[in-house]
Amino acid sequence: MGRKLLLEHINVPGINTFDVYRSKGGYASVEKAIKTMSPEAIVEEVKKSGLRGRGGAGFPTGMKWSFLAKPEGVARYLVCNADESEPGTFKDRYLMTYIPHLLIEGMIVSSFALGANTSYIYVRGEMMPQIRILERAIAEAKAKGFLGKNILGSGYDLELYVQPGGGAYICGEETALLESLEGKRGNPRIKPPFPAIAGLYGCPTVVNNVESIAAVVPIINEGGDEYAKLGIGRSTGTKLISAGGNLKKPGVYEIDLGLPVEEFIYSDEYCGGIANGKRLKAVVAGGSSVPILPANLILKTINNEPRLMSYESLADGGFVTGTMMGSGGFIAYDEDACIVRNTWNFARFYHHESCGQCSPCREGTGWMEKVLHRLEYGHGKQSDMDLLVDISKKIEGNTICPLGDAAAWPVASAIRHFRDEFEWHVTNASEAVSRNYGLAHYADPLPKLEAVAG
Amino acid sequence: MKVTIDGIPVEVEPGTTILNAARQIGGDIVPPAMCYYSKLEGSGGKCRTCLVKVSKGSEKDPRPMPKLVASCRTTVMDGMEVQNITSPEVIEARKGVVEMLLINHPLDCPVCDQAGECHLQDLGFEHGAAKTRYEFDRRTFEKIDIGDKIQLHMTRCILCYRCVFTADQITNTRLHGILNRGDHSEISTYISKAIDNDFSGNVIDVCPVGALTDKTFRFKNRVWFTKPVDAHRDCDKCCGKTTLWYKGEDVIRVTGRKDVYGEVEEFICNTCRFDKKKTADWVIEGPRKISHKSVISSNHYEFTPLPVVKTNPVLMEANKEQFERDTRL
Repeated sequence: MGRKLLLEHINVPGINTFDVYRSKGGYASVEKAIKTMSPEAIVEEVKKSGLRGRGGAGFPTGMKWSFLAKPEGVARYLVCNADESEPGTFKDRYLMTYIPHLLIEGMIVSSFALGANTSYIYVRGEMMPQIRILERAIAEAKAKGFLGKNILGSGYDLELYVQPGGGAYICGEETALLESLEGKRGNPRIKPPFPAIAGLYGCPTVVNNVESIAAVVPIINEGGDEYAKLGIGRSTGTKLISAGGNLKKPGVYEIDLGLPVEEFIYSDEYCGGIANGKRLKAVVAGGSSVPILPANLILKTINNEPRLMSYESLADGGFVTGTMMGSGGFIAYDEDACIVRNTWNFARFYHHESCGQCSPCREGTGWMEKVLHRLEYGHGKQSDMDLLVDISKKIEGNTICPLGDAAAWPVASAIRHFRDEFEWHVTNASEAVSRNYGLAHYADPLPKLEAVAG
Repeated sequence: MKVTIDGIPVEVEPGTTILNAARQIGGDIVPPAMCYYSKLEGSGGKCRTCLVKVSKGSEKDPRPMPKLVASCRTTVMDGMEVQNITSPEVIEARKGVVEMLLINHPLDCPVCDQAGECHLQDLGFEHGAAKTRYEFDRRTFEKIDIGDKIQLHMTRCILCYRCVFTADQITNTRLHGILNRGDHSEISTYISKAIDNDFSGNVIDVCPVGALTDKTFRFKNRVWFTKPVDAHRDCDKCCGKTTLWYKGEDVIRVTGRKDVYGEVEEFICNTCRFDKKKTADWVIEGPRKISHKSVISSNHYEFTPLPVVKTNPVLMEANKEQFERDTRL
């Protein structure tokens, strides 16, 4: 059984209140950091931990912090990216809902390390319950002297605000988030300059995901080296995975990085296998923006080694036979799932959420959606698959922000791995319209959990 | 600092963008730009037509950049090496961008007032495919009058944001912006209000396509049948330096003076643009020089360089460097 660092006390009644959270050792990292550590030492500890950003890109958090410009007399900001809206990803809102003080505690320690006296938690506008929960938690922490002026008598001041966003997916992109936070339309900025140099209001800013900031708490409590002992290789620590789709037990799980994918799907400790006794067909491992993999490739790498839940192992084989850890939005599809419909659904989402600034994303996402729509509804052509791959290539890497890539990868990978299903939709158009699922011949080989356990 | 673009080195000031470095060299290696406008702060980076490949980052860090970069927003580093038309990857990406831009832009050039001056027309000719692969309905809009002199034809808009930057930066009120997102985005005034300030006409000049047109000129003539003449007047609002476009004896349009990249040298006021349509209002400077590559140069007074250059040994020698560059490209 994996160690729980973030969700250890998640089932304790009242853990969302300050007193219960404190009684379970909460805010110890704030005391330790502010009273005994220098900001530089905290950054060093985070570097030692090997923590990688849990928002999707996986950039080393400590390194990101060390890039922060520190000009004299200029404010610095920490912004928590809680604009979680990737289809399939719901771990951050879980954390904010049930154990909000963990995020607040992480924000205080991180802000102290970065020299920020004002910090923001930018929450997706639709998450009103979480916004209220966080605001209440902030008020409690402030009343107990962990926020506001002269925290714990150290002379360090921190004001923490919750800012609801407008509810656009693009506002999860860090520069669009900053634009939105400044009260403007949430369009991504052109980089460079990066936020570490010119971020919120033109000042040096660090933008971190909720889970990344929460992970700072156990890193400070136990030390970076201890944290780095968990996990595998450069994927250290634990990771929250939001498992969804056709699983027996969908939910949010905290795993040690390096857990075999097969164990994650089939063991009773985690997802418990595929619902209704059906077979696994495909998996989207890291939220809708990462390439989809068929069952055989998600369970084993191309070298026939067990695929692990780690940044490196999931990416093994590049985009030809691999995928990405992404945000940890794990979606499993059973044998009845229609990959064409699913791909169209994702394309519809990215078309709707494209900000419209740059031409390839603005026009290309809509084009892909229309082609996929006609394939799904029995009007497709044999040439459509090549067309889709070509459009995705024209978008990928040519846009201002990664939304273009996020729109292109699911389409390109679905055609790469499930081309015959797309062709079936063309050749069996009438059947494809009447029943919304595709061929069911991808589930072999059936995974054998006993082999993993043994 | 030194930067090399398509094998041609050039010395530039620190902070210069790749696009502006290429413009210092000139010729075919200058990336096209639909949304960048040097006179407007913050413009560029959106249309992605100016994507280039940085094959060497700098002397200090010679690693190539992993993705194509927007040359209009990427500043040069000392020793940087850039590929524009020598990179098949760039040409392919640009072809894709042109195809995307033309998805919703109608090919109504025969009836469009911008024909002959349209950047997208030139871009499509140089980098576009022979036919489209897009088989779905295009988005269409009703024409919108934004003020008594300007018509917005959103169907032709490629959302370059230039007019938005213009309205924001050269006037003191925010008049219009972008509504909606993705391919539903559209330029609009604030709840269909008019744009009425002394410099509003400049949005027409900055529009790279025919989305914003001059209602006093619409359907009066094809631009290549007009005769452009540089003129000036003593204006209390703007520089007063303009180009008058003649049809016979009549001035049928007044615009700002545009450089080789289609950017106005200075913004002009609406009085000069819309209200001074008589020759007597102006001091005529002489015929406007038009690039021989432009369709506007047909029927006109001057065009350079003359085709005869390539048959004259003296002129050949004088232009040797240019010919070598052309051959290499």
